[in-house]
Amino acid sequence: MSNKFTNAVRTLTGGRGISQYSMIIALVVIMIVFEILTGGLTLNQTNVINVVQQYSYIMILAIGMVMLIIAGHIDLSVGSVAAFVGIVVAKSMSDWHFPPAVAILLGLVVGAIVGAWQGFWVAFVRVPAFIVTLAGQLIFRGANQLVGQSSSQSTPNSYNWIGNGFLPDPNWGVPANLSTIILGVIVVVVLVFLEVRGRRRRVAMGASSRPLWTSVLKLVVLGAVTLYATYLFATGRVGTSFPVVGIIAGVLIVAYTFVTSNTIFGRQIYAVGGNAAAAVLSGVNSRRVNFFVMFNMGVLSAVAGMVFIGNATASGPFDGTGWELDAIAAVFVGGAAVAGGIGTVGGSIVGALVMAFLANGLSLLGVPSEWTSIIRGLVLLLAVAFDVYNKTQGRPSFTGALLRGLGIGRARAQGPAVTATAGPENPQKPSLS
Amino acid sequence: MRKSLFIGIAAATIAVTALAGCSSARSGGDSSTKIAKGDTVGVSLPAKTSQNWVLAQQSFKSALTKAGFKADVQYAAANNTVSDQQNQIEAMITKGDKVIIIAAQDGSQLGTQVADAKKAGITVIAWDRNILNTKNVDYYVAFNNYLVGQLQGQALLDGMKAAHPDKTTFNIELFAGASTDANATVFFNGAMSVLKPKIDDGTLKVLSGQTTFQQVQTDNWDPKNSQARMSNLITSTYSNGAELDGVLSPNDTLGRSIITAIKAAGLPNPIVTGQDSETDSIPLIMEGIQYSTIYKNTDEEAQGAVKVVSALAAGKEPAGVDKNDKTNAYNGTITVPYVALKPILVTKANAVEAYANNPTLEALAKKG
Repeated sequence: MSNKFTNAVRTLTGGRGISQYSMIIALVVIMIVFEILTGGLTLNQTNVINVVQQYSYIMILAIGMVMLIIAGHIDLSVGSVAAFVGIVVAKSMSDWHFPPAVAILLGLVVGAIVGAWQGFWVAFVRVPAFIVTLAGQLIFRGANQLVGQSSSQSTPNSYNWIGNGFLPDPNWGVPANLSTIILGVIVVVVLVFLEVRGRRRRVAMGASSRPLWTSVLKLVVLGAVTLYATYLFATGRVGTSFPVVGIIAGVLIVAYTFVTSNTIFGRQIYAVGGNAAAAVLSGVNSRRVNFFVMFNMGVLSAVAGMVFIGNATASGPFDGTGWELDAIAAVFVGGAAVAGGIGTVGGSIVGALVMAFLANGLSLLGVPSEWTSIIRGLVLLLAVAFDVYNKTQGRPSFTGALLRGLGIGRARAQGPAVTATAGPENPQKPSLS
Repeated sequence: MRKSLFIGIAAATIAVTALAGCSSARSGGDSSTKIAKGDTVGVSLPAKTSQNWVLAQQSFKSALTKAGFKADVQYAAANNTVSDQQNQIEAMITKGDKVIIIAAQDGSQLGTQVADAKKAGITVIAWDRNILNTKNVDYYVAFNNYLVGQLQGQALLDGMKAAHPDKTTFNIELFAGASTDANATVFFNGAMSVLKPKIDDGTLKVLSGQTTFQQVQTDNWDPKNSQARMSNLITSTYSNGAELDGVLSPNDTLGRSIITAIKAAGLPNPIVTGQDSETDSIPLIMEGIQYSTIYKNTDEEAQGAVKVVSALAAGKEPAGVDKNDKTNAYNGTITVPYVALKPILVTKANAVEAYANNPTLEALAKKG
């Protein structure tokens, strides 16, 4: 490759080359491979909507799980907690006749209590999170069976909307779902705004700004992807559009990305995960951090459980089995490190999408279950191995580079918050990013 | 170094021999010991993950107490169910239960436990699910699961013919239970005995082409998996206007998840079969959304096992035992003496009369 080309790629990707995007590349490859194998079904409107509805609950769990893993813990109870909250919510609507809004509130409260319970044991009694959540898995599975008497409990349609509902269509004569189009346009506008603001900030700080073409190229690519996705969701079957559960997941993703990269608390999570002793000596209240990540996981498990039963239109005794492993797989495929301190919310979402499209593609092809199991395991292993191989030790993950360029995230691996990114023009200089 | 290594090996050898000696020291005849009234009968049930297992505990407790025995009914944990059940059975052997009734979570993984039970002279009764690949099972009490499958297949045909009297060919899709459950294969084979001739002669078409058990099985009987598979089948095969006339569903839980997926896709309701007469499905049958289910009265099934125990306690041969039913009771090693119970196919037409002895279900059928 010519020197000019490699330099251009380096500039574009912030000094580290295309390997940082290995997981996004893997996702695109999987989508293209299955698109070809299934004869165009993977990126079919109905299928894309199905994937979002079927796998959003894993994305929501992955958001909480990545924060836990960054902080150096793990949570094995998310499935059982989600199932427990699900049956409580379903029973509250059927036996105590709560309206859906109140039932959802009850679910969040129960999730918060469970999170606080587990947070207490991890943060204040200092039992390892692995054990606390392993105990939680047993306790809440039993609680789920106790409350539900191991039977399914169906949920009313007014509630199911959060799991299987769609954006309304104002029906202004456009032959596609207008709300989705508006949503897509808003996203593109926000992306442009953030990139422009990022450039302005660099100028204001006196840092050398990146070449204009990198920003333009990024915006063109992201904009094209967003518009294509908008087209897919908007032109589905009449009555469908971007699923409500996707909106819920999207809002949580944006909110948590902001929290983990731009707030003090978010940075403290990375600090505690990266080097707990150093963090404490630097004045971080590690107890509070640990408590709040566990508490947060409890609430997010509750949300995941509630949207799942909305999609399934019933709470059942099987809910939650194996969810923790799906969430953990998504997080590690997304580039988190087992030791803690490394990982991003965006990365876990990409990881979740990789696993989702893989499972979806295999199902569309009608692959028998024993082969599906083997293939999923191998892909999980190879995807993470590929990512580990590409990443140099201690660097933040790929989408951190992407989001940083847009001015949203500054996902860093080690140490306290860094406010300036070193210029990528000179790749020889060790950058603080 | 070498000396300590030698000593280490010697010590290990002695330890192993001692342990081996320990385990083979357990004597006991191969024949079953005498059962008497007042003895404890152990009942090992699988994980409490569906309604029919919840009912099983009640049924066993009342049936055993009425027959004059003590009941020791236990469920296996939801996590690590197979090992938990193995441990429970071993505990029942140690406690001295004279009879152990086992509803296996995985019938192929209890070989060691039933062998230990037979060595201790305990009567082993397989309940609802057969225990596979061992000669150490005395009786197998279950509803005729092959017949259940046949009833489901026939119900699918009858339902579709009734719904579309003018059609000559029908499009169907097939679902089966968990490949780890021996019964799932039996249900599927029973249904296919009725459906396969029709598929071969063209009356029935499976548009997705998925007709083998491994392609249509549902991991863990988890409705999430059947709902996802149905959604994906709709995306791949039924989005271009093809009509889906019927779905073979092995039980009510999966059937409801299939109906949910079909409803979410906006397709018209096909004929969906089921099994277990769950309280959530009976209203759907009365409304015509689910077509059929199977009624397997858990009380009757528990009674069947208890009758065997009572007969043995009275020193008599249990009645109604078929020793040569290879289709239903062959477990890979022997044909287990089989007490077959008759399942009842329930549709909207006969629901009220079918549930006449069951107040809860009858009330649901009457409401519809």
